[in-house]
Amino acid sequence: MDMKRDYYEDVQLFSSGVKLFWFILLILFLALYPLLFKNYYVYVANYIAINVLVAIGLNLLVGYTGQISLGHSGFFAIGAFGTIVLMTEAHFPFLLALFAAALVTAVFGFLIGLPALRLEGPYLSIATLGFGLSITRIIGRIELFGGRQGLHAPELVIGPWHLNSDRDFYYLLITITVILTLAARNLVKTKVGRAFVAIRDADIAAQTMGVNLMYYKTLAFALSAFYTGLAGGLYAFVLRFIEPELFSLLMSILFLAMVVVGGLGSIFGAIAGAVLLSWLDLELRNILSIPYLGAWLEVLSRSYFSITGVSNIQYILYGFIMVLIMLFEPLGIFGLWIRTKIYWRTWPF
Amino acid sequence: MKRKGICITSLVSALLLALSFSATAEEGVTDTTIRIGQWGPQTGPAAPWGAVARGTGVYFQMINDEGGINGRKIDYRMFDDAYNPAKTKAGVKELQEGIGIFGWASGVGTACGLSVKDYLMERKIPWVGPAAGSLHWISPPQKYLFAVYPLYYSEAQILTKYAVSTLGKKRVAIAYQNDDYGKNGVAGAEKQLAKQGLKLVAQVPVEVADTDMKPHIMQLRKAEADAVLLWVGPVHAARIVGTGAAMQFQPQWMSTSTCSDFPFMFSLTKGLWKNVIVANFGELPDSTAPLMQKYKKAHEKYAAKDERWGVFFYAGFGFVEPMVEGLKRTGRDLTRERFVKEMEGIRNFKGIFGTIDYAPYEPSDVYSRQGQKEVFLTQCMEDAKAKRLTDWMEPD
Amino acid sequence: MTDFLQMIASGIAVGSSYALMGLAMVIIYKTSEVVNFAQGEMALLSLFLTYMVLEFHGVPYYVAFPGALLFAVFLGCFLEFAVLRRAKEPNVLGMIIITIGIEMILMGLVSWKFGADPKTMPFPIGPYDSVAIGEVFVSSLEVLTFVTAIALMVVLFLFFRYSKLGVAMKATQQNSMAARLMGIKTKRILMITWGISSFVGCTAGLLIAPTTMQPYMMWDPMLKGFAAAVMGGMTSLPGSVFGAYLIGIIENLFGGYISIEFKSVVAFFIIVLVLCVKPSGLFARHFVKKV
Repeated sequence: MDMKRDYYEDVQLFSSGVKLFWFILLILFLALYPLLFKNYYVYVANYIAINVLVAIGLNLLVGYTGQISLGHSGFFAIGAFGTIVLMTEAHFPFLLALFAAALVTAVFGFLIGLPALRLEGPYLSIATLGFGLSITRIIGRIELFGGRQGLHAPELVIGPWHLNSDRDFYYLLITITVILTLAARNLVKTKVGRAFVAIRDADIAAQTMGVNLMYYKTLAFALSAFYTGLAGGLYAFVLRFIEPELFSLLMSILFLAMVVVGGLGSIFGAIAGAVLLSWLDLELRNILSIPYLGAWLEVLSRSYFSITGVSNIQYILYGFIMVLIMLFEPLGIFGLWIRTKIYWRTWPF
Repeated sequence: MKRKGICITSLVSALLLALSFSATAEEGVTDTTIRIGQWGPQTGPAAPWGAVARGTGVYFQMINDEGGINGRKIDYRMFDDAYNPAKTKAGVKELQEGIGIFGWASGVGTACGLSVKDYLMERKIPWVGPAAGSLHWISPPQKYLFAVYPLYYSEAQILTKYAVSTLGKKRVAIAYQNDDYGKNGVAGAEKQLAKQGLKLVAQVPVEVADTDMKPHIMQLRKAEADAVLLWVGPVHAARIVGTGAAMQFQPQWMSTSTCSDFPFMFSLTKGLWKNVIVANFGELPDSTAPLMQKYKKAHEKYAAKDERWGVFFYAGFGFVEPMVEGLKRTGRDLTRERFVKEMEGIRNFKGIFGTIDYAPYEPSDVYSRQGQKEVFLTQCMEDAKAKRLTDWMEPD
Repeated sequence: MTDFLQMIASGIAVGSSYALMGLAMVIIYKTSEVVNFAQGEMALLSLFLTYMVLEFHGVPYYVAFPGALLFAVFLGCFLEFAVLRRAKEPNVLGMIIITIGIEMILMGLVSWKFGADPKTMPFPIGPYDSVAIGEVFVSSLEVLTFVTAIALMVVLFLFFRYSKLGVAMKATQQNSMAARLMGIKTKRILMITWGISSFVGCTAGLLIAPTTMQPYMMWDPMLKGFAAAVMGGMTSLPGSVFGAYLIGIIENLFGGYISIEFKSVVAFFIIVLVLCVKPSGLFARHFVKKV
C-alpha cells in the first residue's frame, strides 16, 4: 500500500497538484453547499461537521497514538457546558468562550492522560469510560451548569453578526472544521505526529529512540480533548439546549465507532467514518418511508415481529454496516478507498 | 348611484379578501388535509413512552374515518427520535421545511422538546400538549405553545397534601429521578410541606442507570419515612416498592401519573403495587366513560395487535384532544393565528383528561398556557383495580 | 452495625451478578483478547426467547431454562464461527467495533420482536421474596445468584486448570501458533470459548430477568462485569469474581455513607486508583512486554 513513502513527500500538505485541485474543488463545494441544498441538509451538515471534528480529535488519540478512549462524551460535555457558562456567566464573546472551553477540556485531557501513561487496552478503556460517566454526574451536581435541568444556549453573536440560522452557523462551523482538519493533517506529518505513531507501534522502542512517552501521550490526550471540547461547544449551539444526560456512554461508543469504521490513523478515514455514521444515525429514522422496502418491512413486522418495535430496524442496519465494513476491511473506509485506488491504477490488469 | 358603487366595491373587495384568504392558505393546510407532526421515541431506552405518538396516530385515524375536521383529513407525520434531541431537531426541521406542518402535537421528552421549542416559537408554529409536566413549557408562557399535561410540580403538591392532611402522615420523603422530572417533584413537595410547617425527611436521588434499590430503601428507612413519593419511572418505581417489600419497609408509597398504569405496574411488581396511591391526569384504563369506550374501540380497530391499551397509549389521544377541539372551533378558514385565538377561547373543555382552560396570551400569567391544572388520586387495590380516592383537585 | 452488615450483604448480592458477567467477559478475553461488548445482548436474545416460550407457549421451567442455556451456547459458537472468525487481519479495536455492531443487531432484533415495554420473567422464586438473617435482608434470588456465581467460578477454574479442553484453551491463549503445532484445533477452541462465555452470560441474565426485563437490561451489568474483570486483571477468573464483589460492596458502602448519587460511578474511580498502582489489575501477572 502506498500509505507512507519517503519523508519529504510525507511532510507536504498537498503531495501533488491533483490533490490541491481536488481540495480547492471541495472547498468550493463546501462554500456553495448551503445554496445548493435545503436548509434541513444544512442542519445535517452541521451535525456531521461536529462529529468530524470529534472523530479527527479522537483519531489523533486512537489511530495515531494507539490509546483507546471510551470517555470522549465527557470531553464533549465539558466543551459544551464550558462554552455556554463562559458566555452567560463570564460574558465572554462566543469565539473566546469556545476556545477557552476547549482549552479547559484540553487540561482535563492532560489530567486523564496521566493515569493513562500506565494503562492500555481494556484497562484504559475502563478508566476513560469511568471518566465519561462521572463527568456528567459532576456537571449535574453543579448549579452553575444548570444541574440536571440543563442550560439554554445564549444568542450567538460574533462581532457585528448575529448567527441565527443554520446557514450562518454552517459557515462558521465549516471554517473551523476545515482549519482544524488541516491543522491535524499538518500535525501528524511533523515530529509530533511521528512520535505518536512511534508510540502506537512500539512504545518501548520509541522511548529508547528518545521519544518522551509522558510528554507525547499526555499531549495526545490533551489535543484530542481540545478538538472534542471545541466540537462540544459548537454542538451546544446546534441543539441550543443541553443537559448532562445527553452526553451518554452511547455517544462515546459512537465516536469510537466512527474512528474505527473510518480507518484508524488517517484523517481522511476519520472524516469518512464520521460522515457515514452520523449521517446514518440521523437519516435511518426515515427507513420506513423508503418505497417498497418500508412497506415490506411493515409486512414482515406484522407477521413475524411486532409493528410497535419496527423502528428498531435502524439499529440492526446500523450494526450490520459496522460489522460488514470491519469484517472485510480492517482499515475501514480508508482501507476500502486505498484498495479501490490501487485497483483503478492498474486497471485493466 | 354613488351608494351602489360603494356597495359594489365593498362586495368586490370582500370577495377578493375571501379569495386571497383561500389563496394564501396556511402552511401545512390544503383544502382536504391538515398536516400535523409529532416526534416520539420508538427506539432507545425511552422507547416505552413511544406509545404516546402511536396513540395520537390511532386517534387521528379515528377522526379521519369519522370525516375529519371541518372537511379536512389529518395528515399525521410521526417520526422516531430515539429520545435524542439532535434527532428531534433534525426530524422537525425536515418535516417543517420539507413538506410544511401546520402544527405539532404532543411529543415525548423534556430535552427533546426544549431543543425545538425556540425553533417552533420563532416561526409561530403552534404546538399543543407536550407529553411531560415540565415547568419549562410555561415559564415563561409562549404564545404558540399550549401545555396540557398537569405540572409534576402540582402533582407533588396534591399528593403531599393528601398524605399529610387526609392520611395524617408526618414524615414524608421522596425518591426522585435525578432530572427535570424528579426535581419538579421535589420542589412541589417541599413547597406544600412548608405550608404545613413540615420538611421532607429524606430526598433520595435515583439515577437512570441504578438497578439495585437497596441503598435507596435504607436511606428512606433510616429517615423513618411513613409516606414516600416515587418521582421515578415505572421500572424504578416497581423496583423500589419491591425492594421495600423485601426489606420489610412498607410506608405509604405514592407516585405520579407516570406510574399510574395499574395493570402494568401490578404485573411488573407481581402484585406489590397494591395500596400505592397515584395521581392521575386522565380516565383510568378500565373506565366506562363513553368517550373512553369509543377510544378503546378505535384502539381495537386501528392499533397494531401488539399495542397495549396502556395509560400512555391513550394519553396520546388525550394530549391532542384540545388541539382537535381548537381545530374544530377554527372552522374551514384555518390559519395559525385564528387557531391560536380559538385555543385561547377554550374553557371547561372536558375530554378524557381533566378540565382544560386556556386564556388569552399574557406573558406574566403562566396559567394562560397551562391547560390542565387538576389531577385526581386513586389507590391500587386487589387485581390492579383502582379505587378513586378524591375528585379532580387543583393545588391550592 | 446492622446498616453496615446490610450494606455488605447487598454489596455481595449485586456483586454476584456483576461476577457472572465478569466471568463471561474474562473467558473470551483470555483466549482471544477481544473485549466483547455484545456479551449482554447475547444473553438478551436467549432471555427474551425463554420469556416467549414460558409466557405464551406454556413450556415448563425445567425445559425452558436448560433450553435457554443451550441456545446461548449455540449463539455464542455461531457468532464466533459466522462473524468474528471471518474478520480479515483482525485488530483489537476492529474486533471491539464488530462486537458493538453485533450488540446493536441483537438489541435491535429483540426490541423489534418484543417491543420496549418492561416485562418480568416468570421464575420459580419471586424476585422480592427475602430471607432475614438477624436484621439483614437478602432476597432469595440473590442467594441463588451468589451460589451460582461461586459454583460457576469454581467449576470454570477447575475446568481451565485440569480438563484437557481447558488446558488447550490456555495453550491457545498463550501461544496460538505453538498450540496449533501441538495439534490443537485453535479455531474450534475459540468457538467453544465463545459458547462457554455465552452460557455464563445467559446464566447471569436468567437471574436478572425475574426482576425486570427490557431491551436495555443487560447493558449495565455488562459494564459492571467488564469493570470487575478489569479490576481483577482481565485474564483471571477468581480475580474478576473478587473484583465484582469488591465493586458491589464499595458501591453499597459509598451509597450508604457518602453519596447515593455517585454510587454507580464510584466503582470506576476505585478502578482508576487500583490500576494506577497495579496497571494490569489485582490478579494478573504482569507480563513484560516484548519489543
